[in-house]
Amino acid sequence: MKAWDVLRLGISYVILAVAAAIAVFPIYYIVITSLSDIPTIASISIGSLIPQPRGLTLDAYKGILFGNPFLLWLRNSLILAGATVAITILLAFLSGVALSRLNVPGKRALMITVYVLTFFPMTVTVLPLYLMFATLHLINTYYGLILAYSSGTSIYGAYLVKLFVDSIPKEYEEAAMIDGLSRLGAFVRILLPLSKPVLAFLGLIAFMGAYTDYAMANVFITSSDLWTLTLGMWYLSFVNRSTLYNVFAAFAVLMGIPIMAVFLAFQRYLTRMYTMSGVKG
Amino acid sequence: MSYKRNIFFNYLYILPVVILVAFLYLYPILYTIYISFTNFNLYHFFEYQWVGLANYITVLTGGTFWQVLVNTAIWTVGSLAPMIAVGFLLALILNQKDLRGRSAFFTLLLVPWAFPAFISLIVWQGMWNWKYGIVNKVLAIFGIKPVDWFDVVPMAWTMLILTNLWLSFPYYTSVFLSALQSIPEELYSIAEIDGASRLARFRYITLPLMRKTIAFVAIGGFTFTWNNFYPIYILTGGGPGNATNILVVYAYQAAFNNSLYNFAAVYSVIDAAILIAMAIIMLKYSGVLEAIT
Repeated sequence: MKAWDVLRLGISYVILAVAAAIAVFPIYYIVITSLSDIPTIASISIGSLIPQPRGLTLDAYKGILFGNPFLLWLRNSLILAGATVAITILLAFLSGVALSRLNVPGKRALMITVYVLTFFPMTVTVLPLYLMFATLHLINTYYGLILAYSSGTSIYGAYLVKLFVDSIPKEYEEAAMIDGLSRLGAFVRILLPLSKPVLAFLGLIAFMGAYTDYAMANVFITSSDLWTLTLGMWYLSFVNRSTLYNVFAAFAVLMGIPIMAVFLAFQRYLTRMYTMSGVKG
Repeated sequence: MSYKRNIFFNYLYILPVVILVAFLYLYPILYTIYISFTNFNLYHFFEYQWVGLANYITVLTGGTFWQVLVNTAIWTVGSLAPMIAVGFLLALILNQKDLRGRSAFFTLLLVPWAFPAFISLIVWQGMWNWKYGIVNKVLAIFGIKPVDWFDVVPMAWTMLILTNLWLSFPYYTSVFLSALQSIPEELYSIAEIDGASRLARFRYITLPLMRKTIAFVAIGGFTFTWNNFYPIYILTGGGPGNATNILVVYAYQAAFNNSLYNFAAVYSVIDAAILIAMAIIMLKYSGVLEAIT
């Protein structure tokens, strides 16, 4: 029995070590490339992946921050993502609470509609939205994209908030309303603080949706003043062939590592929320 | 009277979302369905007519649609099976109580999920490069000749599915691990006292209790992968030719690269119809629907 346990644990460690190495490798690869003198992808070799303290340089970061409109793209992405987060949280909270607490005929039908809508491919809505926004002069504006981003997340968010608020006892607000709070007051004063975990999660989903979207931005934005990080990255990687590879790598690090750090810092809470909500990020 | 007034005010709360659903989801979906029955495209941009089922007939009698449909099935099933298998295996490994460093390993395994997929896909696109990519350089250490991951169809599928596996296994590992951890420890100790072998405990305790989680995750993963746009759009663009193209990417390219709005609409409508039909069947037989409404 003892020998079997040793064998079992040994195999487990080997599998975990290999899996962890594969999981981390692309990120390590991009970080080390961003710190080395790697003009093209051809310059990367097994040797260049082993850090040589003398060869490390921050040139690529200077290149991306000052040689490219990175800061402009970052600003655009943050404006879009910030507005999407604000609208999503506001709308999802109000409607989610209403769906959970209030007597609204046709509620179940609405919930099923919302669930079925999530099966439609993004192209079903992108094409007509594009034509619609063209008539409304919303192409090449922040507003068009913000509307498009927040619609999906608010609808999904309302559904998520409803599931969450269902688990909070009704007596909390009823007691507050007896003490003289209006119903809206009870929602805001009592349910809002209690819903913080689900709203934070929703904020993250809304942020990531806008921050990493390429498909919609590619259609709705043509003016380079309004380019987002994803459009900029696409341009530097696939269109502009003169981009240095370490500059692209520095871009990837600056855009991706903060997100990764936040995700890993709150992993316990995030994995629980993802598991509960049944979405895959 | 006051009851009716109440209902009216209650509706005010969900009005914003109803408006959003109506204008940004329902109306566009109906519009797409309408376009699929017209000849609206680059050649008939300002004046287009109702053409009935003509687009559907063209699409369904051509070879491309069936190829792309089969590809979508290969992509979905081919991705999902290894993701669930690897996710489950890693969760079982991480769930062993006498394993050290479990949380450290778990954090490392979460990295592909934590890093934005759009960026990792562009990075992978470079790593799979035939001549210069690091994957072939690593394989060379083991004496394997460079593999053309983009132009040979079976290799392109292998590359797509492996990349998607890298992107998605952390999610499955995490969901399965939390389900495993919720199984009461006592069940195992009692079974052990009764003389059940390790295999028997797995077969008669773990698997039955995990069935619902596996069904839930498989349905969610199926609908997500079916319309997962970025891996194929970034890695192969559906190529070579349409050999690895899937419905959602094909529709996007038809609309925005070729301005064939009517055919893009047909593909989108068929895509959604198939997915909804399959989702309804799966939900009906798995009993997951009670959990979501």
